[in-house]
Amino acid sequence: MSSPKVILTSSDGEKFPTDPKVAEKSILIKNMIVDLSPDGLEEDFEIPVPNVRATVLQKVLDWCEHHKNTIFPEDEDEDTKKTTPVDEWDRNFLKVDQEMLYEIISAANYLNIKPLLDAGCKTVAEMIRNKSPEELRKIFNIVNDFTPEEEAAIRRENEWAEDR
Amino acid sequence: MSSPSSEGEVLDSNPTNVHLHNSGVVYNGRIRHQSEKVRSRDFEFDFEMEDNNDFPELKESLIDKRRNSHSLIEQDNNSPLLNLPTEVLLQIFHHLERKDLFSLLTVCREFSELIVEILWFRPNMQSDTSFKLIKNIMKADPSTTHWNYRLFIKRLNLSFMTKLVDDDLLTLFIGCPKLERLTLVNCTKLSHIPITKVLTNCERLQSIDLTGVIDIHDDIINSLALNCKRLQGLYAPGCGSVSESSIINLLKSCPMLKRVKFNNSEKITDESILTMYKNCKSLVEIDLHNCPNVTDLYLREIFLDLSQLREFRISNAAGITDKLLELLPNEFFLEKLRIIDITGCNAITDKLVEKLVLCAPRLRNVVLSKCMQITDASLRALSQLGRSLHYIHLGHCALITDFGVASLVRSCHRIQYIDLACCSQLTDWTLIELSNLPKLRRIGLVKCGLITDNGILELVRRRGEQDCLERVHLSYCTNLTVTPIYLLLKNCPKLTHLSLTGIAAFLRREITQFCRDPPPDFNEYQKSLFCVFSGNGVNQLRNHLNRIMEDRSYWIEQNENMTMPGFIPERRGGMNRNININQTLGIGVGNLNNNDLSDNIINDDINDERQGQNQNNDNEEEMNLWARQRGLGILQGNNGNNLNYPDMADINRQIFRELNEGDITANEMRDNFQRLVRSHHQQRLIEQSLQAANQGADGVDFNNFPNQLRFDNNQDNNTAGTGVSNAPHIVQPAVFPNSETTIPLINEGEDEDIEMESADLFPRNNRG
Repeated sequence: MSSPKVILTSSDGEKFPTDPKVAEKSILIKNMIVDLSPDGLEEDFEIPVPNVRATVLQKVLDWCEHHKNTIFPEDEDEDTKKTTPVDEWDRNFLKVDQEMLYEIISAANYLNIKPLLDAGCKTVAEMIRNKSPEELRKIFNIVNDFTPEEEAAIRRENEWAEDR
Repeated sequence: MSSPSSEGEVLDSNPTNVHLHNSGVVYNGRIRHQSEKVRSRDFEFDFEMEDNNDFPELKESLIDKRRNSHSLIEQDNNSPLLNLPTEVLLQIFHHLERKDLFSLLTVCREFSELIVEILWFRPNMQSDTSFKLIKNIMKADPSTTHWNYRLFIKRLNLSFMTKLVDDDLLTLFIGCPKLERLTLVNCTKLSHIPITKVLTNCERLQSIDLTGVIDIHDDIINSLALNCKRLQGLYAPGCGSVSESSIINLLKSCPMLKRVKFNNSEKITDESILTMYKNCKSLVEIDLHNCPNVTDLYLREIFLDLSQLREFRISNAAGITDKLLELLPNEFFLEKLRIIDITGCNAITDKLVEKLVLCAPRLRNVVLSKCMQITDASLRALSQLGRSLHYIHLGHCALITDFGVASLVRSCHRIQYIDLACCSQLTDWTLIELSNLPKLRRIGLVKCGLITDNGILELVRRRGEQDCLERVHLSYCTNLTVTPIYLLLKNCPKLTHLSLTGIAAFLRREITQFCRDPPPDFNEYQKSLFCVFSGNGVNQLRNHLNRIMEDRSYWIEQNENMTMPGFIPERRGGMNRNININQTLGIGVGNLNNNDLSDNIINDDINDERQGQNQNNDNEEEMNLWARQRGLGILQGNNGNNLNYPDMADINRQIFRELNEGDITANEMRDNFQRLVRSHHQQRLIEQSLQAANQGADGVDFNNFPNQLRFDNNQDNNTAGTGVSNAPHIVQPAVFPNSETTIPLINEGEDEDIEMESADLFPRNNRG
């Protein structure tokens, strides 16, 4: 185990020594490594991840570990991306409470892990689909800040969007 | 009608997507599918794709918006969802349907501000209901609505409901300052007045598609020049009445132009081209279809200057000569050029094509139709394009021969679309060559009079089952009969278009009942020849022929003591009964010089892309086997033929056999074949004229009748009352018997002969 590690430090100070191959699932980290040591790591390399909590970072790294050998199609057609369903493992992986889900999504966004971000967004979209506004407010804990008149007017004026 | 072009095409937002718009005889729908990126086949999906293209653009403006408004909106919401960055929220929304966005719209203010922009970015004018609802909202005074929705509209496409689009409607969209793309394809009712007004203050307009708009007036062009300095795409094919000074004004005002289409204008001259050359350095597409007064004088300079050019079209311009590419060095210079169309530029010769291939090695689409001087030398040159070439149109290039086609096809095996209409020297050999194109989707062989059943049979046999062919045009290939077409249908499940106009063997009610309505502007004679199947009509024809074949196979198995499925009782007398046909139909059509008709047929390409779903699969395997053994076995076997010229058929068979066994070299074979086919053709012409001289006499000798017409007035009884109105009302014989009446009659004297004769789809041993 003499091979050098990437050491990721979470916002709450926890250190995660990580195999570079796993850490490089994050394009942000990958680019950093390439920029700073283009010939590959010779010694451990510490990268702070200031906006991700340790529990979230652990989850994200679990995902990276699982997918370290997965080859995600690069430059995928937007259309294919949109229609491909969430991978079964990812789906189970993302069965977490909403707070955690959003934190994973935010971390994936920050760390630039596109397949994870994409799976997260699809999961949220899944939660939104086929719901009424009232149901959506309940699910996502959102306060209705429209007056009933405003709400009615907006609905009326945008009724066309309901049409398929 | 042609499917409306999806908006945004004019723009280069998807630079890998090559497309051809409908320009005269060109094929709108088809070409768009031949883009570099594999795109979905249905137009519906194109709209989906557009949404995706929108995403990055929307993203930037909405991120800005949310950042700026964040401080304004009171944060009494603690939803963690709302704390996600805007770009993530947008990505989530991106996975949602419009109706889900509609639900989110009224959840809270913060969402609504984002979602209203997504919804109105491109108001959905595709369905009746939403069209009307949007229309009503636009009619309301903006000060009375929750938002002024005009401020959100960036893409406006009115080409889905063109019947509802009139001046009043378009007037409602005056004052959309952020409009970027305006698509008015086929909005024929529009006058120039509201179009001109809508453009006022649209300084962000990037593209406008006026394809099919009739009243393209100087005012529109001048308004574009005045307001839309950032214009990148302008499709105005119907600009024939626009003055050249307006066009020059526009070209001077809009230096960012990338795609321009000015068609059917006699007013456009070299002056416009000079301005284009001087001012528009970003052009990637120039379409001057049917601008007869343009010469190559400044186009030469443009070609030298614009190495990024991707598409170039011009047609019917006598001033386009071999000098067009004269200034270019003999090297890969136009590396980006993918599409070239020089239809009907008669001055050009093989020399230009040879130069073209040197300069533009990545050409995908080459249209040389009606370039009458083109010979096999051009085809040999084009063969150097190799796998780049996907689309080739050589209609009316009457000098080309099988040799040219062979050299082209053998090098360019990715050809998907080939049109050889009116290349009258082509023979069955061409079909054999075409059978080697694995990706071929469309074959045009209209008026290739030397094509025979054997060619089609061999094409079908060699291409095998589950063929990818989608459109086959065989109109006026007057020698064809039902057999090979049945097998073609059988082996090509994706076939959505089949044209057989003017072929006597198909001009009978039983077959034409499945054909489309002829275009309304056809005269009676043209209507009587019309025989085009598309969409579900193809499936119906296939099912019909299948059914008949099933009945026959059933009958053969039940009623004859046969071990071979290939056996058919020899024909006997009774052939001359009830002959009642205008023989000129069979003979005269070959001489028709009817461009209108064939052009209309070609235009069919645009239409009706839908593929029916009701294919009758009953007994399919059994029938496949049966058909293979019979129809396709014929060519390879030694027994039987279905030509009226046994000697010719023997020759063909021999050649095919030798080809398969590799006894003679390809060149020998081709020489042999061509020589034989020519003499055969001459012989037939003689016989046809003899026959014409005998016209009206009773008792036509069937053995000499080239189309193997069979006549049976009983057919009226069989198909009457089916209520099909689109078929030409010619007195027509039945090709196939009505099975329910035939089976019990099978062994009863004369009736059998009639039925057998008319049911003889795959004649084998006969009159030889």
